[in-house]
Amino acid sequence: MESSVRRTVVLLCIGILFLTLQTTWLTFPYVQNVRPDLLLLLTLFLGLFSSTLSGGLLAFLLGYLMDLFSGNGVGFFALSRPLLFYGTQLFKDRLFLESFSSRSLFVFLLALGEGIFFLLLSNLFRAGSSSNPVPPFFKVFIPQCLSTALLSSFFFFLLRKGITRLETQPRTGMGRKR
Amino acid sequence: MRIIHFLFRKYTIPTFIILLLLSALILISLRAQERKGITFLDGLFMEVCAPFQKGATSLTKKIQGIWEGYLFLVHLRRENESLKKRIADLQKENDQMREMMLAQERLRRLLQFKETLPSTVVAAEVIGRDPSSWFKSVTINKGERDGIQKGMAVISPEGVIGQIFKTAPSYAVVLLLTDYNCAIDAIVQRTRAKAIVEGRGNNRCQLKYLLRSEDVVEGDRVVTSGLAGNFPKGLMIGQINKVDKQGHGIFQSAELVTSVDVTRLEEVLIITASSPSSQPITEEKGKKVKKRMN
Repeated sequence: MESSVRRTVVLLCIGILFLTLQTTWLTFPYVQNVRPDLLLLLTLFLGLFSSTLSGGLLAFLLGYLMDLFSGNGVGFFALSRPLLFYGTQLFKDRLFLESFSSRSLFVFLLALGEGIFFLLLSNLFRAGSSSNPVPPFFKVFIPQCLSTALLSSFFFFLLRKGITRLETQPRTGMGRKR
Repeated sequence: MRIIHFLFRKYTIPTFIILLLLSALILISLRAQERKGITFLDGLFMEVCAPFQKGATSLTKKIQGIWEGYLFLVHLRRENESLKKRIADLQKENDQMREMMLAQERLRRLLQFKETLPSTVVAAEVIGRDPSSWFKSVTINKGERDGIQKGMAVISPEGVIGQIFKTAPSYAVVLLLTDYNCAIDAIVQRTRAKAIVEGRGNNRCQLKYLLRSEDVVEGDRVVTSGLAGNFPKGLMIGQINKVDKQGHGIFQSAELVTSVDVTRLEEVLIITASSPSSQPITEEKGKKVKKRMN
């Protein structure tokens, strides 16, 4: 139980770190168009390697944090991220996701799916308006989905290694004997 | 001759010394008299000896060069490293100074602009940007504690930036005018045609609900109308770069480039309160002065 709480807290801290990176260093004009969605990667990682309860909660929290710092007043991410998490959980045992290409394709499709979901929702909320809040499709959106997909294997490897190390670490601390 | 021979045989060394001394005295005497013969002799000896001297000097210099160039290389390397470090430190210092100078210049312009505004403004620093590419917003380091409220206008000396979208006690999110959800009431400065400016992503906006009968051309400046309440009248929004009169209906549309590069924002001003006497700024100020003069 304690281990799972620790794991959740660590993953939340990683999420906050990723959010900070995504809103600061990865926003330089030239990087911005191809910046990977680190929080999406973390959500998918949670979907693949986390429990339904704590992972779902974390996915919601990460989506909520994204909503907080973005100019989106509705709360799209708090909805889309748990959906992505459960979608991943649903498919993880049905699809082969061990190879680089299959994993990248999986992430790419989910990122694309989230985009389409966004478009549908925004059209719903902007009924009557002719404009669509879609970033230039081939210039921004597809490159971002691609960069996110290509980085997925590397990030999953790093996160998995970090989490495994954390769980195998001997527990020491105040009031606890070795 | 016999005497000399005798003296040489019996007193060889003293005789030699005396002869040498005599020769020296003779040479001195000859030099004193500046005789030609001696200069020739001197020149001859010099010509014979100088090449050796030259060779020796060159050898000495080479040895000295090797010594200084190679054997002292350790010290040289150290000195080189220390100088490189010093250069790097100075470069860093220089960069910091330049950055400070630029920041000072920006803040000075911001302050000058602040003084020209008839409203109360709060300056804030941009600390983050939107985590997604779907929306265009920035996070600033001022919030409710500084009097920031939702809907307040955010500007810079170059023009309109956007409006406050969300607030927290110490931070706030600014919805940029380039966001698809942002709409600002505007007028075309030259023709006074009314329209709504809507965001279109990267430094681009669209002028909507602009009557087809209105005369609008590329290069026209678009400013705030002051009707929405948040923005004072006359603040620069952008410049029209494309007019679209095709299609049906009573409206035409135009695309405009924002006067502020919202991708490079660092400091912003938030209009927290408009003074009751607040009048349209920039373009309206001139009119006011004229009226007073009349």
